[in-house]
Amino acid sequence: MTLRARSLAIAAVAALTLTACGGSDSTDGSADGGDGSAADGDVVTIYSGRNENLVGPLLEQLEEATGTPVEVRYGDSAELAAQLLEEGERTEADLFFSQDAGALGALANEGRLATLDESLTGAVIDGYADEEGHWVATSARARVIAYNPDLAPEVAEMTSIDEILDPQYRGQIGIAPTNASFQSFVTALRVDRGEDGARDWLTRLQENEPRIYERNGLILDAVDNGEVALGLINHYYWFEKADEVGLDSITAQIHFLNSDDPGALINVAGAGILEGSEQSEGAASIIEYMLSEEGQQYFTDETSEYPVVDGIELKEGLTPLAELQGSSVDLNQLDSLAETLALLEEVGLT
Amino acid sequence: MHDRSAVAPRRLRRSGRPPGFLAIPGLVAAAVALLPIAYLAVRAFESGPGRVVEVIVRERTALLVGRSLALTFAVTAASILLGLLFAFLVVRSDLPGRTVIGVLAALPLAIPSYIAAFAWVSSPVDVSGFVGAFLVLTASCYPYVYLPVVAAMRGIDPATEEVARGLGRTPWQAFWSVTARQVRPAAAGGALLVALYTLSDFGAVSLLRYDVFTRVIHTSYRSSFDRTPAAILGLLLVLLTVTITVTESRMRASSEQVRVGGGVARRPSTIRLGRWAWLAGPLTTVILAVALVFPITSLLYWSATGLSSGVDVGRLVESAVTTAWFAVLGTLACVALAIPVGILAARYRSGLVRFLEHATFAGHALPGIVVALALVFFGIRFATPIYQETPLLVLAYAVLFLPAAVAAVRSSVAMSSPRVEEVARSLGKTRGQVLRQVTLPLAAPGIAAGAALVLLTVMKELPATLLLQPTGSTTLATSLWTETGVAAYAAAAPYGLALVVLAVVPTLILMRVQATR
Amino acid sequence: MSEVMIRGLAVGFGAGSERTEVLRGLDLDVTDGHLTAVVGASGCGKTTLLRAIAGFVPPDAGTVSIDGQVVAGRGVHIPPERRGVTLVPQEGALFPHLDVAANVAFGLTRRQPRSRVGELLELVGLGGMESRRPHELSGGQQQRVALARALAPEPRLVLLDEPFSALDAGLRESVRAEVRRVLRRAGTTALLVTHDQDEALSVADSVAVLTNGTVAMHASPESVYARPTDLGVARFIGQVVELPARVRGREAHTALGCVLLSADTVSPSANGSEALGTVTLRPEQIRILGVDQPGVVGHVEERTYYGHDATVAVRLEGEHGIPGPRVIVRTTGALPPEDEVRLAVTGTGRFFPTP
Repeated sequence: MTLRARSLAIAAVAALTLTACGGSDSTDGSADGGDGSAADGDVVTIYSGRNENLVGPLLEQLEEATGTPVEVRYGDSAELAAQLLEEGERTEADLFFSQDAGALGALANEGRLATLDESLTGAVIDGYADEEGHWVATSARARVIAYNPDLAPEVAEMTSIDEILDPQYRGQIGIAPTNASFQSFVTALRVDRGEDGARDWLTRLQENEPRIYERNGLILDAVDNGEVALGLINHYYWFEKADEVGLDSITAQIHFLNSDDPGALINVAGAGILEGSEQSEGAASIIEYMLSEEGQQYFTDETSEYPVVDGIELKEGLTPLAELQGSSVDLNQLDSLAETLALLEEVGLT
Repeated sequence: MHDRSAVAPRRLRRSGRPPGFLAIPGLVAAAVALLPIAYLAVRAFESGPGRVVEVIVRERTALLVGRSLALTFAVTAASILLGLLFAFLVVRSDLPGRTVIGVLAALPLAIPSYIAAFAWVSSPVDVSGFVGAFLVLTASCYPYVYLPVVAAMRGIDPATEEVARGLGRTPWQAFWSVTARQVRPAAAGGALLVALYTLSDFGAVSLLRYDVFTRVIHTSYRSSFDRTPAAILGLLLVLLTVTITVTESRMRASSEQVRVGGGVARRPSTIRLGRWAWLAGPLTTVILAVALVFPITSLLYWSATGLSSGVDVGRLVESAVTTAWFAVLGTLACVALAIPVGILAARYRSGLVRFLEHATFAGHALPGIVVALALVFFGIRFATPIYQETPLLVLAYAVLFLPAAVAAVRSSVAMSSPRVEEVARSLGKTRGQVLRQVTLPLAAPGIAAGAALVLLTVMKELPATLLLQPTGSTTLATSLWTETGVAAYAAAAPYGLALVVLAVVPTLILMRVQATR
Repeated sequence: MSEVMIRGLAVGFGAGSERTEVLRGLDLDVTDGHLTAVVGASGCGKTTLLRAIAGFVPPDAGTVSIDGQVVAGRGVHIPPERRGVTLVPQEGALFPHLDVAANVAFGLTRRQPRSRVGELLELVGLGGMESRRPHELSGGQQQRVALARALAPEPRLVLLDEPFSALDAGLRESVRAEVRRVLRRAGTTALLVTHDQDEALSVADSVAVLTNGTVAMHASPESVYARPTDLGVARFIGQVVELPARVRGREAHTALGCVLLSADTVSPSANGSEALGTVTLRPEQIRILGVDQPGVVGHVEERTYYGHDATVAVRLEGEHGIPGPRVIVRTTGALPPEDEVRLAVTGTGRFFPTP
């Protein structure tokens, strides 16, 4: 490239820059042209903290079924909650679809969620909607112990998370301490037993020399091939693996503690409508669809989660949610992650 | 004659008032760069100063600041070492294959640190914690030092080293006492980028399970949904950044040099490695294996797995095109804002100019999420029509990556003598004409190199893209994030690979421009 | 063609206690069509003066006017590009991204014919080099292109800032002569700044000596050399022999005996009384006599041979055992073989009373 050609290139770059700047000054929704739908009056804008791969098909299905056009922004639940808080009442979002209850609770606390119609909050199993009616669960997931029946068949009888502290499991427990699901379990442990109780439990776990994994899926693989006897995971990882390799080829089993124990934590994904949304009716119809038979069927079939509505045909191996006795810890209280991380670090589980 | 050359560098910078046509856009750039800090101040102090103190004095805060600084120091030091080593081997040694090594050594820049981290995490090798973070960040960051040092080594007048030889130094001694010292400003500039990158990195450290400062900020959003502690910690990070930036600019000022002679650069002599060659060869091989071959192999392995199980090629292509488009726009905006600040920093010495230059760096160590939320805060209030449209996203990229562009403009403008501009003025050209016809064409190669650096950094950006991109668009980084979100490594890998392939283009441009300089 | 008039020009840098005054009320006239040299030691403010005239440094006080138009001072500051003052800096400062022709054409206005480029390149002896790049030229060629570039827009004034200092000695001589020829041919008014007194004396029509931020003397090269108006000028231009003296009338008593003072030296003692001060002579005014001739006795301390001439440093014999002053003698003849020489003065000396 000669110098002259180079300076021409620079001139071109400069010219482009000018147009780009001009564009940023004058662009508005209508002139943009690219996605004219933004200007449409009846589009429901969804901020989804749930992964596009998991819920994208449902949202498409729903758009067709309800006739409500939707626009979705995907992101991390917590970051989207922070964004919604910053946007305040100027937000264009109508519906917040969150991966966990904490993010919904944060928005509700700031008065950013409208009160839902009782036809929505009443549709779910008792205890799976916010008491004030600001949000409603759309699906649930349970903490379980994955175990290898050849190595530790007795896990099937466990009722308390304390039982895994038995020295016989030294070096035989798989955990993923940096994973959000393990951390919310520890938070529940702290809420249930206090800081000292939780520290005591974690210290004893640490003494049992658990194997550290990066993700739930890797723990399950390790349990399945006998690398460890048991591991702490969310229930749907087992179903995913079963779907992938077939029920016959999976050795590992999962056990839900089925008692009021922090180890039997049931967390939810849920949705709420933004206060002041102009599309609250459309948004409500979307939640309605998510709670409908089709919607609930989708969750159990595709994401292997628990439906939060009675009478859905469950995926093979899932127990109806209403029959599960889970931890009584209030999900709205699981908002002290910083302290949980400090505690994990203190005992050396990172 | 001696005193003349000694005072020349000082005189090359004018102390006079900078002209409005540079100062005003410079102020605009600084204002844009300071948006995140303004936002953090609003959020930090809304619960009163008592809260600020309470958050800062927490034991954990001190611990994590310490860890961040330790990691930053270690990564920066190692990057300087590696950058200098490679630059020496490529420019000055007789190492066989040094031309190829010269290109390969720059390529880790094209691999986002979170992809490198992902490669390690998904491998059977257990690399995590401090060692892992240090390894991965050093491997992805050292080219920030390597590239400018290579350019500087090529630009040095070999006469200085010859003089040292004449004064009785061996080739090695002459290299260390003369050349290595002359590349100090270039190395310091690169080291600054490394330090700030390490401070602000979140992806790699979180994948490698090493708790540092940025992680607390993220946790703060994630856990308590309370923006105040996050904002306070963010301000603390700004403070660290300013300290580091000011230190670097002091160092630069004290070792600043302008090529005084106008002679044509000759190629410097080659230093024979002799018996060191047997060490240098394997050493470079190991470093390149860790920094380049391993992550690429891992990506290829997972991509092959992913492609065989079917990857949405349409989406892959669409993501790649969107990524390139956003990156080009972001780079243009960034360079446009950086040009006035860079020229002022190179040519004028005044309080205002120092302020402008430091202002553009102040927010550089902030995690992307903080910058993104700041633009959410201001965008939705004062720029509603472009909120969540391309222009605001482009602005976010400019805020995030302004420093690299400013540094490139500053150093390339400083390379050419201001006398040339004065001659142009005296020949009847206005300041604006001189800028267009002389200053910018002369600085063009350097600015292009800076633009390439920004381009490849923008491509990798994730948090701001997620929050600010136009609804419905996907980039390679966001697709990668979506796929890894459901732990689909195999499905994610093709996006990672595409990202690396796309980023190789600006990296090669960067190399080429610096080689011909 | 134009005339430059500078009055009371003052320029300083920095502020507060660090402030340094570089130019302190400088007056200078540059005659139309002449090449005027400003000569002074390093750091005396020569470059600042050029930059003030060109418009890159605003004066704190005083005025610069060209052809009667005030371009700087009295609230006026005409920007550099509208002054019609072009520069030939040290080392040329050619635009490295442009070829020779584009460099020369850089300052041409639309109305000026492009053919000027070729004419000017012919004038500086570089015809046919239009498409060369600056880095393909030698130092002397670069300097000549810089001159052609500066002349192209037909400026009112050309400023040359140490334009020959980067050239080696042999080349310097010829480029110097070349530049003078070209400037004369073009009839352009020019101001040359240099620290090299030989350069100033040999090239310029008139020489201004700059000391302490003011012009100490401005006159023809001959006058500046032969009739310096103060001791500083005498010391800066050429070599000088300084002798302490007692003066009565036009006669000065020095270690070299009685020296006749030139008529224009202000008579220090109108009332016939004696005055003390310094008498200056040029080394060529001192002759070495044959051993048998009467003269002042001295001892040779150093001999320096230049080919065309030579200088000899001689320590004069003092009185009462105290060695006398050291003088420099220039000789075109053979170097004296013996250590003891006898000296005599020819011509007149200049007297500067002790203040």
